[in-house]
Amino acid sequence: MTDTSISPFPVELTNPKKPARFALARRTIITPIFLSLLILAVATLAIMTGSRPFNQAMIDILVRVTLVVGLYIFIGNSGVLSFGHIGFTCLGAYAAAWLTINPLMKKTSLPGLPNFILQARLPYWEAAPIAAIFAGVIALILGRILMRLSGIAASIATFAVLAMINTIYSNWESVTGATSSVVGIPIVRNIWPYVGAAIIAIFIAWGHAISRSGLALRAARDEPTAAAASGVDIPKERLVAFTISGIVMGLGGAAMAHSIGVVTPDNFYLGLTFITLSMLVVGGMSSLSGAVLGVLLLSALIQGLRWLEAGVVLGETTFALPKGLQEIALGGLMIVILALRPAGLIGNREITFARFKGKA
Amino acid sequence: MLQIVFDSLSLGSLYALGALGIALIFGVMRLVNFAHGDVIAFCVFALLWPSTDAMAIVFAGQLPWYLLIPLVLSVGAALSVLCEIVVFRRFRRANPATMMIASFALGFVIRYFLLMLFTSRPKSISLLPMLSQPVEIFGARLPLLQIITIIVTVLILLGLTFFLRQTRFGLEMRAAAENFSMARMLGVRANRVIMGAFALSGALAGAISLIFVSQTGTADIQMGSSIMLMAFIATVIGGLGSLSGAVLAGFALGAASVVMQVILPVDARPFRDAFVYGAVILVLLFRPQGLIAARGTQERV
Amino acid sequence: MSLLVLNNLEIRYGRLTAVRGVSLSIRDGDTVFITGPNGAGKSSLLRAIAGATPASAGTVEFDGYNITGRAPEDIARLGFSMVPEGRDVFGSLTIEENLMVGRGMAKKDRDWRTKAIEDLDAVYQTFPILKDRRNSQAGLLSGGQQQMLVIGRALMTNPRLIAIDEPSLGLAPNITDQVYERLIGLQAQRALTLLIVEQSATRADLVGGRMLLMRGGQIVLDGNARELGNGAAIQAAYFGYEDH
Repeated sequence: MTDTSISPFPVELTNPKKPARFALARRTIITPIFLSLLILAVATLAIMTGSRPFNQAMIDILVRVTLVVGLYIFIGNSGVLSFGHIGFTCLGAYAAAWLTINPLMKKTSLPGLPNFILQARLPYWEAAPIAAIFAGVIALILGRILMRLSGIAASIATFAVLAMINTIYSNWESVTGATSSVVGIPIVRNIWPYVGAAIIAIFIAWGHAISRSGLALRAARDEPTAAAASGVDIPKERLVAFTISGIVMGLGGAAMAHSIGVVTPDNFYLGLTFITLSMLVVGGMSSLSGAVLGVLLLSALIQGLRWLEAGVVLGETTFALPKGLQEIALGGLMIVILALRPAGLIGNREITFARFKGKA
Repeated sequence: MLQIVFDSLSLGSLYALGALGIALIFGVMRLVNFAHGDVIAFCVFALLWPSTDAMAIVFAGQLPWYLLIPLVLSVGAALSVLCEIVVFRRFRRANPATMMIASFALGFVIRYFLLMLFTSRPKSISLLPMLSQPVEIFGARLPLLQIITIIVTVLILLGLTFFLRQTRFGLEMRAAAENFSMARMLGVRANRVIMGAFALSGALAGAISLIFVSQTGTADIQMGSSIMLMAFIATVIGGLGSLSGAVLAGFALGAASVVMQVILPVDARPFRDAFVYGAVILVLLFRPQGLIAARGTQERV
Repeated sequence: MSLLVLNNLEIRYGRLTAVRGVSLSIRDGDTVFITGPNGAGKSSLLRAIAGATPASAGTVEFDGYNITGRAPEDIARLGFSMVPEGRDVFGSLTIEENLMVGRGMAKKDRDWRTKAIEDLDAVYQTFPILKDRRNSQAGLLSGGQQQMLVIGRALMTNPRLIAIDEPSLGLAPNITDQVYERLIGLQAQRALTLLIVEQSATRADLVGGRMLLMRGGQIVLDGNARELGNGAAIQAAYFGYEDH
């Protein structure tokens, strides 16, 4: 860094006394509360309309909120781009499937599972936390290796992790059913568990962001040299964020599995990586509010495009967009937003009512 | 044994050419181009009529080889340059992460454009069918195609080396890859060099797609992504920005894949690529700058 | 006649202003030193003229053309050759290749190669050490040799003006002497205009020419290098005594 830059060190880090931290918590708690209220509003809307497809669309949005918040925990705070997080979603989704499918079905479709899993048949609210922790443990193990890398090498290595998980799950016939779909996952149509998952994800992200580790990590993101010089162990703080975000991604995976009832490895590959990353980037990569708003905005857009793809009757003729245009529009929009507002729509700010600057 | 060597070399050729295409662009603008794989796919589909059938309806593919090859190469170069002009030019001053996401998005646009016209079903296509006959060399029966692949790759590498070492444009490109702003202050035209790099990279993508389709006999929208991932890994292992490193690492990855295919127990063979990716992460752990670190490309933390 | 004219040039990095409203006119064939303490804005000024840093306000004219906001390669093509601080040699290229990069802007006509060779010979004559090591990698050269290489490379562009940022940085005093000796020789021989940024005023004192002193992003003193010397005025300006 040149001598011309002013260090945007968070005040909280330079003065890490306990009372200051509680003050920080009090000052920032409005953000997760507001975002949770927004989630609740979305859910209430779904219930009030009472239409099943709309309910399903809302569940999709809530699952994505969980996933994108999970991405934010690592990418937003560390500034390291990861293409591998959907791998943890894959782990979580399959783990949830293993634990909840009827043992009779598992014996024939997934005979390679260890016996205690084959016998198990847990309700989804027990299976989901286990799935999340499973994803978190794998994230911890992989992260110990990955977090020593930095910059582009780290990003490419996370991509390799995604590809590795995909290759394993696409080929391990007896445990994952390889490329064929794993069916029989109990479908949960009630919207509230998904609301719960999204709100839990938001509060985990907030809790991490204001923790000592989260503050140190953001300091390291903005001023790596200064942070390292003041004793921040960057790989360690990154590993903490990586593991927590792995857990949230796993939770999101479990939620996704229960929302559609079927999983295949390709559900959790480049397509989902692209959509979740777009949502994070469009909203603002280093902001929790940005992550949630990005999901809501882009989901609305995707829904609108799907509707157009399905065909709209205009007078005499049915007007339908060709299939694939949805992704093309999404990609184009993302490029435009990146070119015009590289920091995303809301930058690195957070939604608060009390006005204070530059939390993130 | 000879078979293993030739398998390694021909698979390595694909990875090496892919890695070269990525390293060329990374060199001049620090962009990790995720759209490269989709440019590879586009080159093949450019030969086909839009259709949803499983049999490809080839229109340009009926051309004799001496027209077909230049056509595919120029399609790649043109698309690549178009990506530069329309998209990447807006990101010259952006940080590498932003550029990476932008290229990821662009790749998606290209892929879904193809999907829209051709659907996701792989199509069987036979380009240059005369190449699939086997030939006998040193008592081993090898597909002629494999030998041609290797020869063509070697020729491309030699040609590129000559271009970079002996021509004025090549010199400017090497200078720009090492220190772009200094090169500009000496009068090297930024746009020309960057567009040149994109054109070369796109032509390489065209070469890869020709080789790949002749080898597999199918045109698949996903075909670029597996090569692209290996090519990325090769550029990182080879030391980002180092062209020779990228080529060497590409061949090394090809050899590693083929050798793993042979030595792994039968049950583990489907997981070959997973083993390769795992090995790569280990390599990066011990040599984060790659095996051959390029000068002047070290990142700021 | 004025070769380089700055009008109220201002450079900001975010909230920080590095150069505030500098106006300046440099005549063809002059030797001009810009000195001043660290952070005075000297390098920023040079980089902005070369087009490597955008100016926030004001204009730059070179040889009668308005070059404000133009691309660095266009400015170089007009005959403004910049040698940035830290001797940016292309380390993996050979010495001769480094020099040839400077020929990038030459028209590629029939006698392009002969002209290039003539110019190469001229550079080798000034810096014989470069000729001896023409095929070795530039990254392997010593600091003094690298300084000579970047000056030689700047000459290959056939410039009207060479701007050099801290040529003495990291060099032993006797090597610095050699570098300056060549520079002065070249200036006489080619009717070059020299714009040299140095942190210390002692060089300017020895070489002579015009001297500008920058502090806090402004030119605070402008005069003949020998007359200004190390006098009280320069010290006051340098250390900012008038503030106390």
